[in-house]
Parts: sequence; structure tokens; C-alpha cells
Amino acid sequence: MTLDLTARTQIGGFSYDARLDAGHEIVVLFGHSGAGKSLTLQLVAGLQRPAEGRIVIGGEPVFDSRTGLDLPPQRRRIGYVVQDLALFPHLTVAENVAFGMSGASRERRLGDLLDLMHLDGLSDRKPRSLSGGQQQRAALARALAREASLLLLDEPFSALDESLRAELRRELIRLRSELGLSIVFVTHDLREAHLVADRLAVFDAGRLLQFDGRERVFRQPASSRVAELTGVANILRGRVAAARGTELVVEAGGARLHAAVPEGWHPLPGEAVDLAIRAERINLRRLDADHPDQPNLVRAAIREELAYGATHTLRFTSSLGQPVEVELASRPYEVIGVAAQKSWTLELPPADLHVMPVASASRPGSASASATTA
Amino acid sequence: MSSLGGRARLAGLALLIALFALFFLLPFAGLLERGLRDPDAWDAVTSATARDALALSLWTSTLALAIAIVTGTPVAYWLARARFHGKGAVEALIDLPIVLPPTIAGVALLTAFGRNGLLGEPLDSWFGLTLGFSTTAVVMAQLFVGAPFYVRAARAGFASVDAQYERVALTLGASRLRAFVRIVLPLSWPSLAAGAALCWARALGELGATLIFAGNLQGETQTMPLAILSAFESASGLTAAVALSLLLLIVALVALAAFWLISPRMREPL
Repeated sequence: MTLDLTARTQIGGFSYDARLDAGHEIVVLFGHSGAGKSLTLQLVAGLQRPAEGRIVIGGEPVFDSRTGLDLPPQRRRIGYVVQDLALFPHLTVAENVAFGMSGASRERRLGDLLDLMHLDGLSDRKPRSLSGGQQQRAALARALAREASLLLLDEPFSALDESLRAELRRELIRLRSELGLSIVFVTHDLREAHLVADRLAVFDAGRLLQFDGRERVFRQPASSRVAELTGVANILRGRVAAARGTELVVEAGGARLHAAVPEGWHPLPGEAVDLAIRAERINLRRLDADHPDQPNLVRAAIREELAYGATHTLRFTSSLGQPVEVELASRPYEVIGVAAQKSWTLELPPADLHVMPVASASRPGSASASATTA
Repeated sequence: MSSLGGRARLAGLALLIALFALFFLLPFAGLLERGLRDPDAWDAVTSATARDALALSLWTSTLALAIAIVTGTPVAYWLARARFHGKGAVEALIDLPIVLPPTIAGVALLTAFGRNGLLGEPLDSWFGLTLGFSTTAVVMAQLFVGAPFYVRAARAGFASVDAQYERVALTLGASRLRAFVRIVLPLSWPSLAAGAALCWARALGELGATLIFAGNLQGETQTMPLAILSAFESASGLTAAVALSLLLLIVALVALAAFWLISPRMREPL
């Protein structure tokens, strides 16, 4: 692993507790602002000191509260791009990029780096005269100049418009494989998180709620708070009716829903659970279509429709007694004629219905009591 | 109607500006007029007294500035970055000499460093070292009244540089010193230059504290302002004082002009 971090600290009324690692991959730290994402990067960079814990970068311990080890930022081999970039305004692009370089091959490496980041023609310009995307690339080049294998990026694309962001994300994925980098990437943008992440760490109020492969976090959130934060539109309250092998039957609002037994947890019959299903995983079926014995079908009627162009969001009142949200691409929306028909059967595929423990202390905006780290 | 009122207001404003300008420009005109009218004036300028006083003024004020920069820069940086209780009090204390009448500064310096002063007495009895009424005292008086101008401006300059730049420099492998020299200094240069200019000008013009703490001995403690005062009280009176004043004025203007010619080049990169 290029990075191994265990840290606990208290800053004013904010308490932080996380355990995290990163190999040759992009690890995305995701959460609202103030969740502890940026603090994580500062702890790794040595700009903040945890009260307790251990940090190892590229096999070399840089912080250990038990031995009193605490290397200063200069001696931690990382590339760090801060949120506001902080390009030195009085230095040219080339001087900015070369700031962290030393040694004889400096000139050649500077040329290579400017080349790699498409900054060749801009080396004598001051940061102020660059466009947002160019500034971004200059900051990235400067961070890469120390040839560190660990790159920390704090909301690197937040100031850019969507087309530039898409381009830079592709660039980042290219850099990861070309330079063999480990990248820790902070964002509060869900789509961006999904696009660049190999693994995803979900932060909330100073706690790392879940740290797993991207698909795992999106499909199998560890708690309803993670589900909420990662944009799961439907979180249904239910009660386990039966557990047979790898399958659970959950009773919700009078309907019996089949779902897979979640990994590492075996809820017992009678236990209250939360069910998560993303809006885009729910299928629409005509009421008159013949589907005997098929499980997980729910009668519902459209209450509200929102057209986003490429997609439609449909809000249903359902026989579950709880509202259900469905997202549908424009094409199927037109083909099956949703506009003319209000009543539908919703299919909640068992594979997409994820069972989570009910978090007793789970309130929006507060730390979840079921916080887990993987 | 409203345009008439507007015009009257404008006329009133113009009158105020004219009065203000007249008040500040007329004394310079008077100085120039008197200097040109009286041919004897130039004898005073070429006298040994004037030469000694000008030389002493220039090197003591420059030395005072150098000491202010060397000792004041770390203080200013610390005040710009550190957060602690009583910081306001420390800043007020450093600003105190700016608002203090110079004669009080002179008396205060004497009570500390004079022969019977707090530190002056042991220095005198143990090492035979006397600070008062020496060239050293001249520099000390100038430093006391001038340094706060530099520290004040430098503190504001350092505070205006986002600490984030320094943090980034550290993560790029720079030492704290290198981050300061390569990042903070160039970015705060205009403030430092302005503070240095004010400090030097204040030291050059220092009279009251010098007179009390250092005395008025030609070649040793008689700086230009003191020479002007002495000339004014001598037989040649106003004529010699005018000549010396013009000389000091020209030297100060040339020095400051040279200074401002250098500094824009150094802050141009921004």
C-alpha cells in the first residue's frame, strides 16, 4: 500500500476518526463539506497532526503517536494540490512547477513535465494570465514535480466548468496508469466520485462511514446514512419476515419483498431493517401485463414528474405506504408511454434491493451509530 | 435647481482642496524663495558643520534602518502569523513610539540607557561603557522612533500573504526559511519597501529624542536636524537654517526617489 492511515483527533468541537489505505488506484474521499475529507489530506501531508494514530507513506512511517514520530511536510513524499491551487502568483508557470525540483536533471524533468501536462507554450506566463483549466494543470504539474508516488487532490476541479472537468478527469485516469500513481481525491460531487473512484470512502461529520470498492458502496451502502449521501433515493423501512439461506423476505407496508442477505450480517426474523434501492434500478411494468408469482412487484401511481432532459424522475405513491422514486431515461420514457399513463407496477429486483441495519441514532447530518470501516 | 446646488457643492469642494494644497505647498515655496534670494545661504551649505552633519545623518539613519530590518522582520512575521492572548497589547506597545512625542522618547531612553539609567548604570560601572551622548545614542534614538514604522508595515505585508502559499511550499519540500525567502518576501515586498522608506525618513528627521539622549556635538551627535536648529539659533539665523533645510530636503527627495525607482522593478512580477 502506498498509504496507510489510522488517525483520531479532536479540533474544537469536531472529532475525527478514520482508517484508510490506498494502493495504485484512485481513492475518492466523498462527503459534504466539513465531513473531514480535506482534514484527511492535511493529516497525510503533515499540515495537521492527529492526536493519535499512525501514518505510513510508501512503506515509510511518517507519523506514529506511540513513538512520537512526526516528519515535517518537507520530508513526506507526496504531491498535494490544495483546493484553491495556491499557485505562487509572482512566479512563472515554469518557476512554479520547478519549485519542488532539485538535482542535476532538473531542466530535462521540467520540460518533460510541462510536456506531459500540455503546458509547453505557457512556461513563461504568470498564473494570473492562465485560464482555469491551465491553472489546474500547472498546479498538478507542480505537485508531480517531486516525483512522489502519492498524489493528494483536494476538490481539484471544483472551480471549472463541466466540459473542462470531464477532460481533466480523463487526464487524471491517464496519469494514474502512466505514472503508476496512488491518488487520493477529495470531492463532494457524487457523479465525479463515481467517475474517478476505484475505491470510495464516505465521510460524514468526521467519521469514515464506509470504505469499499466503488460499486460496492453504491450498491450495498453500509448504512442508511451512506445510502442517503450516495444518492439512494429510496430508503424503505421494513421488518424481516423470513430468512432462507441467502435470501431474506422483508415485509414492508403489507408487501413481501425478497432481497439478498447482506454480506457479514444476518438479520433475524422480526428484526427491523432499512431497504435501499436506487431510483434507476426500479423497472416499470404495465398493470395489465401478466406476471404471476413474480416477487417484488408493487402497485404505484405517479404523483409528480420531473424532466431533466436525458432522464425523468418519477415520484410514486405506492402500495408500500411509502413514496417511491424512479429514474427513467428519456427514450424508454417515450417508448412505454409514461406521459399518458399514471398507474404502474413497479418491479424492485431482489439483486438491487439492499438490506441495511436500522441506525437508531441515524439522523440526517449527524454521525451514524452504525459507522463501519472496511 | 439641483444642478445649481450641485455646482455650489462642487465649488465648495474645490475651494477646500485649494486651501489644503496652499497650506502644504506654500512653506516649500517659501523655503525655495528664501534660498534663492540670499546668496550668502550657500556658504552655510559648504561649511564643515554642514558636511559633518549630513554625513552623520546619512550613515546613522541608514544603520538604524538596517537594524530595524534585521530585528524587526522576525517580529513582524511572528505578529502576522501567531495567535495568542494579548497580541493586541504587544502590537499597541510596538506602535507606541509612533504616537509618543519624541522628547518623551528621549527622556525615556535616557532613563534606560543613560549613565544613571536602568541598564546604563551597570553598563557604566561594570564595563565603563557609556551610551548616552555618543553616536551610538544617535542611532538608538533613530531606531526607537523609526523601527515601529517598519514593523507595522511589514506586519501588514506579511499578513496579506495567504499562509496557504507557505503550506504548499512546505509540501513541495521547501524549508521554512526557503518558503519565507522565495514566497513571502517577494509577495510582501511593496509593504516592506514602504515601511523601510518611512522608517528611514523618520530616522533622518529625528530631532527631539536625539537632542535629549545624544546631545548636540558637531561631528559626533549633531545630525542635520540638530545642525539646522543650531544654525537657526546662531548669528546667521534663518539664512543658514534655510540653506541647510534645502540641502536635507533635496537629499531626502533624491534618496526616496531612488528607492521608489528600484522598488517597482522588484514588485513588477505581480
